Amino acid sequence: MLTRRHFLSGTGAGLFLSGYPVHGFTKNAIKGRIVVVLLEGGMDGLLAVPPIGDDNLFKQRRALVASNPLKLNPLFGIHPNFKNFSSMLLNDEASIIHATSFPYVGRSHFEGQNVLQGGMLTPFSIKTGWLGRAMDIAKTAGKAMSLETPLIIRGANDLDNFYPARIKHSRLPSSETLRLIQSTHLNNAAKVIGKLTKNSMKMGVVSQARDPLSLAAEAGRAMREKDGPRVAVVKIPQFDDHSEIGTDTGHHPELFTLVDRTFGKLKSELKEEWKNTIVLTMTEFGRTVKENGSAGTDHGYGSVGLLAGGLINRSSVVANWPGLSNKDLYEKRDLYATIDYRSICAACLEAAFGLDHDVISERVFLDKTIPRTYGHIFG
Amino acid sequence: MSDNKHKWARKVGFGFGPNELLPTDVESWNNSQLTSNFKSVGMAKRYSDVEIWPQEYNFSFEDRLRRAGEYNEGKKEIENSKKLTSVEKKKRVRTLRDQTDVALFDVYKFWNSAIYGDDMVKQRLTHFWTNHFTVGGGGRRNYIIGDFIYRVIYGNLNASFDELLYKVTTHVGMLDYLDNAESVGERSESARWARRNGKTQGLNDNLARELLELHSVSPERMYTEDDIRNSAKILAGWGANTDSVIRKFYRERRRDNPAIGSLGKFIYEPYFKDRAEPGRKIVLDNKFRSGKKSLRQLTDMLANDDFTARHLSKKLAIHFIGESVNQSEIDFIYNVWKDSKGNLEEIHKEVLNVTARSKERKFLWPSTWMFQAIRFSGSSFLPGFEDGNASFYKAVPSKLNYEPKKILEELGNSFWESRQPDGYSERKDDWVSTEHFDRRIKVASRIYSFQPDRQGEEIAELLDFSDNTKIAIDKASNMRDKFIVALCSPDFMEV
Repeated sequence: MLTRRHFLSGTGAGLFLSGYPVHGFTKNAIKGRIVVVLLEGGMDGLLAVPPIGDDNLFKQRRALVASNPLKLNPLFGIHPNFKNFSSMLLNDEASIIHATSFPYVGRSHFEGQNVLQGGMLTPFSIKTGWLGRAMDIAKTAGKAMSLETPLIIRGANDLDNFYPARIKHSRLPSSETLRLIQSTHLNNAAKVIGKLTKNSMKMGVVSQARDPLSLAAEAGRAMREKDGPRVAVVKIPQFDDHSEIGTDTGHHPELFTLVDRTFGKLKSELKEEWKNTIVLTMTEFGRTVKENGSAGTDHGYGSVGLLAGGLINRSSVVANWPGLSNKDLYEKRDLYATIDYRSICAACLEAAFGLDHDVISERVFLDKTIPRTYGHIFG
Repeated sequence: MSDNKHKWARKVGFGFGPNELLPTDVESWNNSQLTSNFKSVGMAKRYSDVEIWPQEYNFSFEDRLRRAGEYNEGKKEIENSKKLTSVEKKKRVRTLRDQTDVALFDVYKFWNSAIYGDDMVKQRLTHFWTNHFTVGGGGRRNYIIGDFIYRVIYGNLNASFDELLYKVTTHVGMLDYLDNAESVGERSESARWARRNGKTQGLNDNLARELLELHSVSPERMYTEDDIRNSAKILAGWGANTDSVIRKFYRERRRDNPAIGSLGKFIYEPYFKDRAEPGRKIVLDNKFRSGKKSLRQLTDMLANDDFTARHLSKKLAIHFIGESVNQSEIDFIYNVWKDSKGNLEEIHKEVLNVTARSKERKFLWPSTWMFQAIRFSGSSFLPGFEDGNASFYKAVPSKLNYEPKKILEELGNSFWESRQPDGYSERKDDWVSTEHFDRRIKVASRIYSFQPDRQGEEIAELLDFSDNTKIAIDKASNMRDKFIVALCSPDFMEV
């Protein structure tokens, strides 16, 4: 389904030959940092970044277009709640990818989240994540800002979590005892307890808050350390708004503010390291172009990806706009995805880890046909 | 069958505590576990005896709505008061919340049943099905989740799967959680009225999609978007959101409305004809007429579909046997499913049979692990239900003990939390992380603080731990640490 309108096919992919050298990075000292912000539930990309230059937008959606979007170019505007992100766009440190998705059209959250994190075309077909596989090749560490280790970073050797416990009157036993517990386990469980033992010996006070914004701040703080993780995963749940999603205000717009403040927080906490960072959002699918009967939108296909960080040199909205008239929609209901978001993830890996595109396509996504989009975002 | 009865009871239940008699014949124990009528039990105080769970804490659906309504109305009154300061308002709202809370008692009942109940296999099955049919918690829905767990799930464990599927699908909690309460047939009376008034109303396919994907046939069935849409049309008209059910119920009650009978219908079968989609619908090549009865036809068709039998046989096998269960083990359950036409009692019996023969190991959910740790060790970690809502006893509300509820949340495994409709994972990988293990270890330490009768070494002996783990327990420097090592070893996390 993606081949029909694949955005780079025949449009200059040849310009970016595989093996294109990436300046300054060697495998031994990765400077780049990647933060993935998982927007769980399916963000409505047309509400976040409305194609206000497409008249069909207003024909298809009567209510769900913000009344005062910030105009980015003749075609696109952005929801006014993206304040930090807008100024990053002005500063040439953010970009937008529109009409994009992982190649998954099944509209199931769980399959979609699995495809998006596993990076395979078939859901539930792999036990590691694309980011984890890339980290394994680049030999770099990562931290998930959640109770569990999300699939996306599994497969990497050095993984940690951060989601502070609130269990009264209890603390960890001595590191000797932790090592004894570790000795009873094998594989990943043993590794995890090893990490826990190490963490338990660190001094200092860490934040106890567990909201996405505080977790993003903690991720930024950890990542700016010299020996800190190079990868972090932050989750923002509850995008699955089937009803009353809000236009200027309401639930989806509030989530936009949260996403926006997450970008701002990461920038302010990463400090000097922001210049070596790329932050990207991912969501399992977009939502229907038309609003449903309860002022919400149902599961769809194409959505939007937001990228920011100092690794970007020039802001742009990258899209091969499929259009919004009925005949342009996927199965007459969804925004088409004309850009395979795997190719965007690949470009981010190339920029941050200095990995060769061919290595990424073959060993991370296990698909040689993924086009190289590096030049469109980091060129 | 594992000849170790302690291990067996952990595989399908929560294990036998230090004061429990082991069954002489496991097979008849299995049967009685599935078929007997059990009484809920509980403890008033942490060190008191176990007794019958008090009737006043078995909330009927009406009780739940009444208490939720009292909270809603009372809160409004407090917040609109011109005399109170904002600090006083907050304090009063908190007191009111404590006085009307229901979820806290449901959580206590949930713990008490797992730790002290005679019906441990039924409890485990209840956990499985409650998770399969996830109704996310939080907010007002927490007033009715206990109704879903105990009346709908526990109450139908021995019914047929089609019965369970219909009851789950039409429960206010499910209809609210998956937005069906917002769904209106596009050609319904209500939508036509809305259009005349410049508004739009239409379908919301959330519940329809999960009904097919998660609750019954699964994506393997290769249904189409039209099948989902038509299922949504059949579902249109069902449901009212929890808040409005509470409001309506409470107001009618206050007015002493003699028409309370119709209210029962509104609660138990929340169907609104004016929002239903007229006309015929086709789902998976089957035709459905318009009307209320078409939903039962739909859920029956889905419940009896071959793909549902496959999907759920596998899920049950993975839950009880382990994630590397082999296909032939799944097939035994599947065959019984088909032969019995989805009779849950027969199916559950076969799950026990196949589990008994299997050599696979299952990595337990954190909540199952914790309940087993408390029950098996004999720790008195659980505070009694009287400690649950102290304000009932006119004590200071600050004494209210939310710990049991919070610990389940900390373990990432609470049925009263908001979460995705696919429920808690059956895969070990999803439960292994530094933070997950941090909590396990801390909870194990906390359990130890309440004087377990069985210490680490005894636990290892009774459950045939590996030599490697026994050595680690031996090396730990004190009794607490020995206990923690035992509970946090793979020998106890898996069974």
